[in-house]
Amino acid sequence: MTPEEFLAAKRAAKKAARRGKKEEQGALNLTSLMDVVSIIVVYLLKNYGADPVVIMPTAGQKVPMSIADSPIQDGIPVYIAQRSITFNSKKIVQIDENGDIEQGAVQNHLIGPLYDAMAEEADKAKQMAAAQGNEEWSGRVILVGDQSLKFSTLVDVMYTAGRAEFREYAFCVIQNY
Amino acid sequence: MAKKKSSMEEGEVEANLLPVMNVMFLLIPALLLAMEVARFAAVVVTPPKFAAQADEKKEEKKEEKPLNLKVFIMEDGYRVSAQGQQQGAEAGKSADSSKPTIPLAKAGAPLDDYERYDYAALEAEAARYKSLFAHETLVTISAENSIPMQVLIHTMDAMRGKDCRLLKAMQGEEIPPECYFWQAVVEAGAG
Repeated sequence: MTPEEFLAAKRAAKKAARRGKKEEQGALNLTSLMDVVSIIVVYLLKNYGADPVVIMPTAGQKVPMSIADSPIQDGIPVYIAQRSITFNSKKIVQIDENGDIEQGAVQNHLIGPLYDAMAEEADKAKQMAAAQGNEEWSGRVILVGDQSLKFSTLVDVMYTAGRAEFREYAFCVIQNY
Repeated sequence: MAKKKSSMEEGEVEANLLPVMNVMFLLIPALLLAMEVARFAAVVVTPPKFAAQADEKKEEKKEEKPLNLKVFIMEDGYRVSAQGQQQGAEAGKSADSSKPTIPLAKAGAPLDDYERYDYAALEAEAARYKSLFAHETLVTISAENSIPMQVLIHTMDAMRGKDCRLLKAMQGEEIPPECYFWQAVVEAGAG
């Protein structure tokens, strides 16, 4: 088609449009889109369903990085952020700007309010395990710390968890290999 | 004029959804790609009491002197000791607390610089001990109060070995030989 012919055809098309010719409407085929959406939904559900524990770090918390590849096993998370310790979605203890636990809350490595909350949770978990027919309760605690968390604070939390009859510990990390 | 107005009122306007759906279709992969996905993993820590019991069992079985490998993280480096003897201690002394065995890789760097420690040298040390004590898997790690958790995790990674993958071992396979000291005992004041 020469340029002249092309322009003539275009002019004719415009003329026809002006006369009120109806434009052909394309039907929308949603099948392929629904296929894609279904696959994404299944993929996301599988990803969320794979972890037995949902880890939701608190705002501003930087979870440490590691090359470890072991999956997180079922357990009760304790969130130790820069300024607070959270257990069961409740802020239990405040941490000061130097990274130390607030005065009065810790005595001989035992963090009193955290111990009370963890011991109560341990009792509940034991009763649940007994009701389900499990003879032994695993007593696993997942410590979701912060990169800058001081070793002394971490030791206090571990000691408190041990006193509340949690026998297994795991540090939650973000894989970075 | 009146005829034209009535025809406009009667005409039903149908929205063309095709361009909207095109945009939505492009947005889904774009948002999925933009999403930051953090894969969480766990570093299992053995409490001191149970680790001591495991040691006793090993002693009974193999009748070998246990390695008793300890790593103490200090602000100026690592102090490594095995079989009750600190590396690099002065002659006749079992420990020399004034000096680290492995000094900092970045001397003078602040505490929040997590790369200030010489993780490569520590891993080389772990590999050396593993070659001497192939059956040992346990290491006791302790630190000074101010040491950040990220340094502790990096130290555990170095003792485990950077090529160590325990995922298959957790599913029943054997522990790969690239894994050096993968059972960490974290305790206070082990230095």
